[in-house]
Amino acid sequence: MATRDLPIVGDSFAVGYRFQRYWDTPMANAFFFGELGAGLFLVSLLCGFAGGMVAGLLITGVLKSWFHLSHMGVPGKSWRAILRPDRSWVSRGLMGIVGLMGFGGLHALVTWTGALAPDSAVALLLQLAAAASALVVMTYQGFAMSHSTAISLWNTGLMPVSSLLYAATGGVLLTLAAGWNGFLAMAPDLRSALLTGALIGLLAIAMVLLSLLHAAHHGSPGGRKSVELLTRSYFAAWFWGVVCAVGLVVPALLLAFGGEGFGTVALAAAAMLAGYYAYRLLIFKAGVFEPIMNFRP
Amino acid sequence: MAANPKAVHNSIKPGRWVRSTCKMCLHSCTNLIHVTEDGIINTVEGDPTNPSNRGKLCPKGNSAIMRHYDPNRFKQPLKRTNPEKGPNVDPKWQPISWDEAFDIVAGKLKEALADDPRRIIPSLEDFQKMNIWVWPLAFGNFNFFQSGGTMCGGAYHPVNGYIHSAFAAANDAKYCNFWVNDGTGDGFSSHLHAAAQSYWVANARVDRGMKCVTVEPRLSISGAKSEEWVPIRPATDRHFALSLCHVMVSERWCDFAFLRRDTNAPYLVGPDGYFVRNAAGKVYVWDETVGQAKLWDDPTLGKLALEGSYTVEGKACKPAFQRFRDILAECSPEAMEKITTVPAATVRRLAKQLYDAAEIARDSKIEIDGRILPLRPAAYNYYRGAQGHKLGFQTNHAFKMVNFLLGNIDAPGGHMGVTLDDQWVEHGHIEPGENGMIKPTPHQLGPVPPFSWPPQTFHLMDYFPVGVHPPHLNLEVFMNPEKYGLEFRPDTMVVCHSNPLWAMQGPREKWFEFMRSMKFIVVSDIIPTETTQWADVILPSHDVFESWNMTMIEPPHTEGMCMRQPAVPPLYDTKSEEEIFTELADRLGVLDSYNQVLNFALGFVNKPELMLQPGIRYTDKEIARRKGLLWNGQDLDWYMEHGHAVTERRNDKWYRPWEGLRLHFYIEDMLKQRDDLRAKMDAAGVPYRDTWAWDDYQPLPTTRLDPVHEEPPEYDLYGIFFKDIQLNFGESLSNPWIQDIVYRDPVHIAFMLNPQTAAKKGLKATDILKVESPYGRIYGRLGLSEGWHPDTLGVSNSLSRAKGKLGGVKHAGGHFNDLLPYDLRNTDGVTGQPETVCKLRITRLDDWPQFLKDGGSVYDLVDEIALPGKGRKH
Amino acid sequence: MARYGMVFDLKRCIGCNACVVGCKQENSLPDGVFFTRTLSQEYGVYPTVNRVYIPTLCNHCEDAPCQKVCPSGATYTRPDGIVMVDPEKCIGCGSCAVACPYDQRTELKAESFKAGLFGTGEVTPFEKQGYVRFTPGMVTKCDFCSGRVDAGLDPACVVTCPTDARIFGDLDDPNSKASRLIRERGGRQPLPEKNTRPKVYYID
Ligand SMILES: Nc1nc2c(c(=O)[nH]1)N[C@H]1C(S)=C(S)[C@@H](COP(=O)(O)OP(=O)(O)OC[C@H]3O[C@@H](n4cnc5c(=O)[nH]c(N)nc54)[C@H](O)[C@@H]3O)O[C@H]1N2
Ligand SMILES: Nc1nc2c(c(=O)[nH]1)N[C@H]1C(S)=C(S)[C@@H](COP(=O)(O)OP(=O)(O)OC[C@H]3O[C@@H](n4cnc5c(=O)[nH]c(N)nc54)[C@H](O)[C@@H]3O)O[C@H]1N2
Ligand code: SF4
Ligand code: SF4
Ligand code: SF4
Ligand code: SF4
Ligand code: SF4
Ligand SMILES: [Mo]
Repeated sequence: MATRDLPIVGDSFAVGYRFQRYWDTPMANAFFFGELGAGLFLVSLLCGFAGGMVAGLLITGVLKSWFHLSHMGVPGKSWRAILRPDRSWVSRGLMGIVGLMGFGGLHALVTWTGALAPDSAVALLLQLAAAASALVVMTYQGFAMSHSTAISLWNTGLMPVSSLLYAATGGVLLTLAAGWNGFLAMAPDLRSALLTGALIGLLAIAMVLLSLLHAAHHGSPGGRKSVELLTRSYFAAWFWGVVCAVGLVVPALLLAFGGEGFGTVALAAAAMLAGYYAYRLLIFKAGVFEPIMNFRP
Repeated sequence: MAANPKAVHNSIKPGRWVRSTCKMCLHSCTNLIHVTEDGIINTVEGDPTNPSNRGKLCPKGNSAIMRHYDPNRFKQPLKRTNPEKGPNVDPKWQPISWDEAFDIVAGKLKEALADDPRRIIPSLEDFQKMNIWVWPLAFGNFNFFQSGGTMCGGAYHPVNGYIHSAFAAANDAKYCNFWVNDGTGDGFSSHLHAAAQSYWVANARVDRGMKCVTVEPRLSISGAKSEEWVPIRPATDRHFALSLCHVMVSERWCDFAFLRRDTNAPYLVGPDGYFVRNAAGKVYVWDETVGQAKLWDDPTLGKLALEGSYTVEGKACKPAFQRFRDILAECSPEAMEKITTVPAATVRRLAKQLYDAAEIARDSKIEIDGRILPLRPAAYNYYRGAQGHKLGFQTNHAFKMVNFLLGNIDAPGGHMGVTLDDQWVEHGHIEPGENGMIKPTPHQLGPVPPFSWPPQTFHLMDYFPVGVHPPHLNLEVFMNPEKYGLEFRPDTMVVCHSNPLWAMQGPREKWFEFMRSMKFIVVSDIIPTETTQWADVILPSHDVFESWNMTMIEPPHTEGMCMRQPAVPPLYDTKSEEEIFTELADRLGVLDSYNQVLNFALGFVNKPELMLQPGIRYTDKEIARRKGLLWNGQDLDWYMEHGHAVTERRNDKWYRPWEGLRLHFYIEDMLKQRDDLRAKMDAAGVPYRDTWAWDDYQPLPTTRLDPVHEEPPEYDLYGIFFKDIQLNFGESLSNPWIQDIVYRDPVHIAFMLNPQTAAKKGLKATDILKVESPYGRIYGRLGLSEGWHPDTLGVSNSLSRAKGKLGGVKHAGGHFNDLLPYDLRNTDGVTGQPETVCKLRITRLDDWPQFLKDGGSVYDLVDEIALPGKGRKH
Repeated sequence: MARYGMVFDLKRCIGCNACVVGCKQENSLPDGVFFTRTLSQEYGVYPTVNRVYIPTLCNHCEDAPCQKVCPSGATYTRPDGIVMVDPEKCIGCGSCAVACPYDQRTELKAESFKAGLFGTGEVTPFEKQGYVRFTPGMVTKCDFCSGRVDAGLDPACVVTCPTDARIFGDLDDPNSKASRLIRERGGRQPLPEKNTRPKVYYID
């Protein structure tokens, strides 16, 4: 019997696939809010949408940090996480968050108080630094996961890409929903550009998910097991139903054929976010360690 | 060991090491106990100076600390304040003083004793403290409620007593090259000194390339480590052994020289089954060389006949060996395969492998300590699972027969007698018997009550002259007292270190009735169990880290004494068992006779200066001291320095200690015992004498089927249980470290069945099952494994705990023992050995039965352990 | 400087898990926490079926992914190759746990220290004297009993193993029993495709 036919053994003392159980719901929340906040910030920054920027900062700064701290075993010492940027994506990401909050916050502050002209060099520099930090926050978690050789499902360059796409698309849809009757009402071109962007984002996500499954399936027995879990067993209903149907197909259909209107966009955004969140959760839950050895002939 | 004040690892923190002995099972590996500067025990390691366990401990031995610090331990004497009793009923314990406790207990016992000593029913099970075990003899009470020695060795010990004049038996791991393990974890997971024996056997396997074959209905640990697993239908091992014998005899693959020289196989047997004797009682043999009968000790004997038919003193007769051949005629592997399911070709091959490995054709010899001994490095080892059947005596005998044919009894590499406790270094266990044979010693656990009508014991031990006490018959008699002519009823129970309500077969509900019929129950234990739940008074004893002892039980390859000494002062207001039972003996006025019983039981009579004196209450320490002195003349300070007096077993005691005498290939004594008992029953007019199991008495094993195979056909599966190395019975389950490993091991969390069988019945893993035997029923989830005989359903001891305050134990929906019979039909008429296998039928349920969900049963429902991918939650 | 490693003789191992309990004892591990586990695997179809017992612990990888991802610097490697976790530095982020291909990292949840081994909320003196070495919430693992090794002793699980299935030794010393066994009986490392260079070998 091949390795891939070994069972999932949970925490029992048997050889087989074992679920990764260290990064779970609080961590999924942290990932979700961290990426989404940064995505919203970046899109809003590009659109010059101050409300979205602030909301993005708040989402990342408050929700992400809160959930991250609640995941941390020794929260009192979490500042130490920043110490090894030379090798740890967690350290790098943390610096990204600090950067995002610092530069982004400063940027918001100076533009809001009018202390600096928006097109002054310093403001531009701040913008650039904040955008770069946001990009780091949008992707580092994907990098952190892709660097885990332990869990084949995650061990792919597609992980940061999926993070980036989800974060950006989520950011676009949130911006659309939040700005629909506000600043976007006055900027129909930007609005349709964002609409197109969202559609492209959803399509891209679908492709990345497909590639991700494909890569994992062909990567290692553990990857294949994860794909099986996602597409055919334990998590299939959630994966097909929420991640794919609700999270991608429904918003895409709404955006493409639902007619333009706040209701449609808000619904599409909500559906996409639900799918996004389910993805974040399932990608943790479906992560399995390989059997340590296989003695089956 | 180096102590490091900054150490994080427990064993190297500053502190002291105390030498002592493990008792997480009944055996006695020695250990080193580390006590920190704050007086906390933080490590227990094996003692590397002990040639038995050599620094190793099994998982139970490693978990002793958790027993010591168990918050559920009894912390002071307790008195029940709730008169209502039941498995789920809170006794509403009230702490009392020792004085009050002794007053109550001695009062109740005195009252019973004054009226009728038979009203007392003891259950005193500590193998490490035989001095407590024999306490009832001080007032002549032979009732017996403890389960030890019967479910496992009811027939095993008497047969070992006949063949080796020893308590137990094991293969010689020092030289064995081909080891058959039939129905025992010996060398892998259980039986003798599990930690020690698995070391010896692993070395033999890996360093010397010893081959192992495991005959068992399940792929046990032994099976997994063997070169070959031979799945067998339960309760057919005798037939398997006889089929091996058939092949060996018909192919002439036997050590005939051994049989002629060292056994009674050539002794001539008359038509009545008795040896043919002359007027002076001397037995005849047939001298083939001259073609005439001679007396066994005739100095002119030539080659003795093992086969043929002769007429001597006017009687038609045959050598005992020929008698066996006649039985074997119907034991062809093909015929036996129908019973055992073991393919005939496998049997033929194994017979050849055994014969070749035993080096009989070459007649290999080995010189050990200047003695030239036959080297017979192949042997058939077996225990509880293989022998625990209704026809236990014959079954054990059949296994011994394989070894007889291999000429390996007590030979290097062969099958060895293992003594319970030699008591002193020079003590040999062999005595000459009649007609050149060894003296059989079937009563390895001490004296048995004499015949009596009406019976003097509640479990009918009066009628098992060869047996070990059959405690399950207490229930049979309890249900039908008139039938058995009982003139008394026990109603005062004394329990120490024993959990009969877990250990005994038969439905719990009926045992509960038995317990309810008791007027008074006193229990000495250290933690709550199924049995303590019923007590009126609890007398909490010290644990192993707080008390003294001196023992060594059934060590296969070693001998000596292992000392237990207190590593720390008692945590609670507890006492040693010695203090408890001498106090009670004193208050009952039987202290002097108790001391005298101990002088015999512990062997002090052999060194008069060690004899216990009347009027003195001896402490655990003093008993330990004297046992040490008896062994090797060394006082306690010597033992405290050395920890033990264990050495490798003296070769003169280990190898052929009976040199010059003949072994009982043919157990003529069976017929004497049968006829003697029958005569006594006839004379007394015992009403059920005609239905007594007289056919069970056989001088040679037969192919008669055990009654378990004759249950109604709708019971289409066999049920078995097993001990693995993590558990001491079910008992260690209340230990969190043991729980942590046991509930994660797939074999311990579900009813195990072969997937083919499950498929045939439309069942899948995790299905909820009702499992029924003709005697009881249990519930649980199904687990599948290819490592099971398709006819067999297996239940680990871990799934068999009843409800009660058992600190953290996960209960399953029933106890395997509920499925077992407790009647005479399933009891060996010779030895009292009960059947330990049952027939079953299983039904899939959609959900757990309501009464389990309601908690209205004696079992708790714990559903989390056998679900897929779960293991135990953390 | 030695380079410590371990060899598991699968012919010897009987799956008793004495090592697991011995380790819990030596290290005062809370309920459900393991630095070593012995797993079983059944293979084949009745009646030609067998089961193998496979002890596992931290492989003290030379190229340890757990160390690479550790953001706090808590995970480090001693000169003798033992991979350690510093309880003063660990933040309990779990990065190492998802990076270790062998699932050898374990969280020491704060609750389990409070619940106690008997789950009664009563913490035994044994636990009290042992738990001080840990920071609740940290993620840790087997340290090859570094303190015992420094004192010249074999690890606790090795000492207690009833069948001598665990052989600890210096892999750089060609004459150590461990090196000899790997050479003579062909040691296999677990999941070599993960490129972690484990210092644990299996012989069968
Ligand atoms: N670890 C541990 N060691 C112990 C003990 C303990 O509780 N735990 N208890 C001690 C005591 S008192 C005893 S009696 C010994 C007993 O030691 P063992 O003889 O090893 O006892 P069991 O495990 O009960 O039975 C042995 C095997 O018999 C198998 N079996 C059941 N029915 C049959 C059958 O009909 N035929 C065959 N061939 N096999 C069958 C079971 O699968 C089981 O694996 O161990 C002693 N040592
Ligand atoms: N289902 C099933 N039934 C079986 C068996 C089986 O394997 N499965 N095995 C059978 C066999 S072979 C046997 S021998 C019997 C054994 O049956 P028992 O001898 O009754 O076995 P235990 O359950 O170990 O009971 C021993 C008791 O001693 C207590 N104890 C431990 N240490 C001390 C101490 O220091 N002092 C005192 N006072 N008490 C202490 C324990 O808490 C426990 O309650 O069971 C038989 N019944
Ligand atoms: S075999 Fe028995 S005596 Fe030896 S370590 Fe295990 S529990 Fe203790
Ligand atoms: S102690 Fe030894 S034999 Fe037992 S499971 Fe561990 S490695 Fe295997
Ligand atoms: S086995 Fe895991 S925890 Fe141990 S060094 Fe390797 S990666 Fe790290
Ligand atoms: S949990 Fe501790 S040891 Fe592991 S990566 Fe995080 S900080 Fe490092
Ligand atoms: S080496 Fe020490 S810490 Fe590691 S598993 Fe063995 S006993 Fe536990
Ligand atoms: Mo037993």
